[in-house]
Amino acid sequence: MRLVFAFLLSFGFCLPLQADETCMSPYMAKIVGQEDYVYIWTLGMEGVGDGEDKLVTVDVNPESPNYAKVVHSISMGGRHEAHHSGLTDDRRYLWASGLDTSKIFIFDVHSDPSKPRLHRTIDDFVATTDGIVGPHTNYALPGRMLITGLSNNRDHGGRTGMAEYTNAGDFISSVWMPTDDNLQGAVKSGNYADGYGYDARALPRRNVLVTSSFTGWNNYMMNLGKMMGDAEAMKRFGNTVVIWDLHARTPKKILDVPGAPLEIRCAWGSKSNYCFTTTALTSKIWLIYEDDAGEWQAKAVADIGDASKIPLPVDISISADDDHLWVNTWNDGKVRLFDISDPHSPSQVFEQQIGEQINMVSQSWDGERVYFTSSLLANWDKTSSADGNDLQYFKLFSWDGDKLTPQFSLDFVEMGLGAPHQMRFGAHALYASKPLPSKTIAQQEH
Amino acid sequence: MRGVLFGPALTLFAGLSLLSAFSSAMDPDTHPMGRQSATSMHETMHAPVSKEPVILAPGYGPLSFVAPEAGSYRLPSFGQAPDGRILQEDGSLSTLHDIYGDKVTVLSFIFTTCHDVNGCPLASYVMQQVQIKLESESDIAGHVRLISFSFDPELDTPEVISAYGDHFRSLDADWLFLTTNGDAMLQPTLDAYGQWVIRDYDEDGNYMGTMSHILRVFLIDKSKRIRNIYSTSFLHADTVFNDIKTVLVQPDP
Repeated sequence: MRLVFAFLLSFGFCLPLQADETCMSPYMAKIVGQEDYVYIWTLGMEGVGDGEDKLVTVDVNPESPNYAKVVHSISMGGRHEAHHSGLTDDRRYLWASGLDTSKIFIFDVHSDPSKPRLHRTIDDFVATTDGIVGPHTNYALPGRMLITGLSNNRDHGGRTGMAEYTNAGDFISSVWMPTDDNLQGAVKSGNYADGYGYDARALPRRNVLVTSSFTGWNNYMMNLGKMMGDAEAMKRFGNTVVIWDLHARTPKKILDVPGAPLEIRCAWGSKSNYCFTTTALTSKIWLIYEDDAGEWQAKAVADIGDASKIPLPVDISISADDDHLWVNTWNDGKVRLFDISDPHSPSQVFEQQIGEQINMVSQSWDGERVYFTSSLLANWDKTSSADGNDLQYFKLFSWDGDKLTPQFSLDFVEMGLGAPHQMRFGAHALYASKPLPSKTIAQQEH
Repeated sequence: MRGVLFGPALTLFAGLSLLSAFSSAMDPDTHPMGRQSATSMHETMHAPVSKEPVILAPGYGPLSFVAPEAGSYRLPSFGQAPDGRILQEDGSLSTLHDIYGDKVTVLSFIFTTCHDVNGCPLASYVMQQVQIKLESESDIAGHVRLISFSFDPELDTPEVISAYGDHFRSLDADWLFLTTNGDAMLQPTLDAYGQWVIRDYDEDGNYMGTMSHILRVFLIDKSKRIRNIYSTSFLHADTVFNDIKTVLVQPDP
């Protein structure tokens, strides 16, 4: 019997225990046992394989004969700046977007979870949304997907918005982030109302949507060294987190969170009205929380490494019990674990080098398996390392509460795949399907 | 880490039947319904039963936030609500669009033997609460129709679905209970609405009378456009009722 089961945690906040699977929409089905596959949205690299962006499927079930092997890869006909992906609430489709071309690819992952199939491509995102550029977070809401943008087609700066599509991929609506010249009824609580966007997470129990802010196309498509040397470019990063009325989709309050707040992870506990984010430029953990008076606030609660060395915190992952937060820092290739049992006073309890660079982290429901990938952005990624490897990888570690133990590592450059970014889990049990008999080689589609 | 709900990774927990959804915002120890339905979530699982309690969906309790005022927000269209052939409670054939007529419709997909307290019973409970609200606002009630549509034609004959409906609707309520005469009539409608259903079979291939599904409830305006979709965590009579009022004052999305 396959020891893999899944269930729908369509709200999720009832239980104090969920895990990354822990970092996805609370409206979505969750895999609580052993995942079968990890779908890795992968940047194409010039001179590596066919050079195209890909959705790469790796078998991660230790009972499978294909364990730790790439079992499928589908190329996307070019490079789109593959970045983030997300599953629909019924988990039948995986949406994966490109920050450069603003295309969104919708993959059928239910017909054969081992072999995602391109179902539909949204190639009019910019026109349909009246100018939003750079679809980033693909986030499940009931019967629909919320897509956050990073930029716009007027000046390719950081002002942007969000759009909603039906699960079938039809446009529903869009809304722009609040700015000084159009607060849309929101309260500007500090110095900024920059209108920038990045991630989004919902707290349905409090009717709250939280969004963060990064930078626009001009910056994220620029060479990192060039950008770092451009004082004007470095001013064009987001400094805000916005609290929205989730039901009405209207902004309520703009909070100052200076230094490019990126990923948002909200606590799951039924009385835990808070979320975390980290700031890329100032290397801090920020707490976004509802105070005793019912007001949403933001405050820096911990430093991540030595900010003067620009560790550049990227992805974060909250543990099932809201007690721990994995924090990756791209520049030094390290993962750090913070004890967040007191959300107002996190403390670092663990640190380990994972690779030359590191970006995404995803953990299993029980927290015992932790996956890492390496790529940040095509023009920001490192191109060389001291020993010539550990640049672009997909790695699995086991976690026993004290140490990370390597299970396997795949070199995505050596395998001709590219630069791996966002990971999402798949399981046959979600669709009452079973794996086909022994597949021993990866299937490649174009 | 403090208490682990599901134990080690290899612990069997839940089968697809759980796709009918569970969870909630409320504390089971303080909720008026307490833990009385603590194991129902697992009744249709393929796997050994967890001893953990089910926590009731938010739709069973007071709304945990102040809902935005009706008419103060937009409900953009998801597109046209699909049509489909159905059987009414008297066994007569009709179509969904004919049934919708010129009413604002709340449509839920259910089956009468669904045991998951946060699945179909939640939908029927919330719609009953909407019915109660409508009874107190007669000027609105005449514009609204509630529909519960079975996706189990094998067990839910017109007689069965009608008897099920009698447990929920009041005498004067505009609440219809629909079914179909088989998969050929049913499946196109489920596909069109994105209502994913998988029947549960035992090892001998016998239908177990249960189905895995994700809870879907639709708000449809008078022009037969879908204006909102609710799932377990999002389904609450207060917000549904405000949404009904909103589409009545904003007929054009």
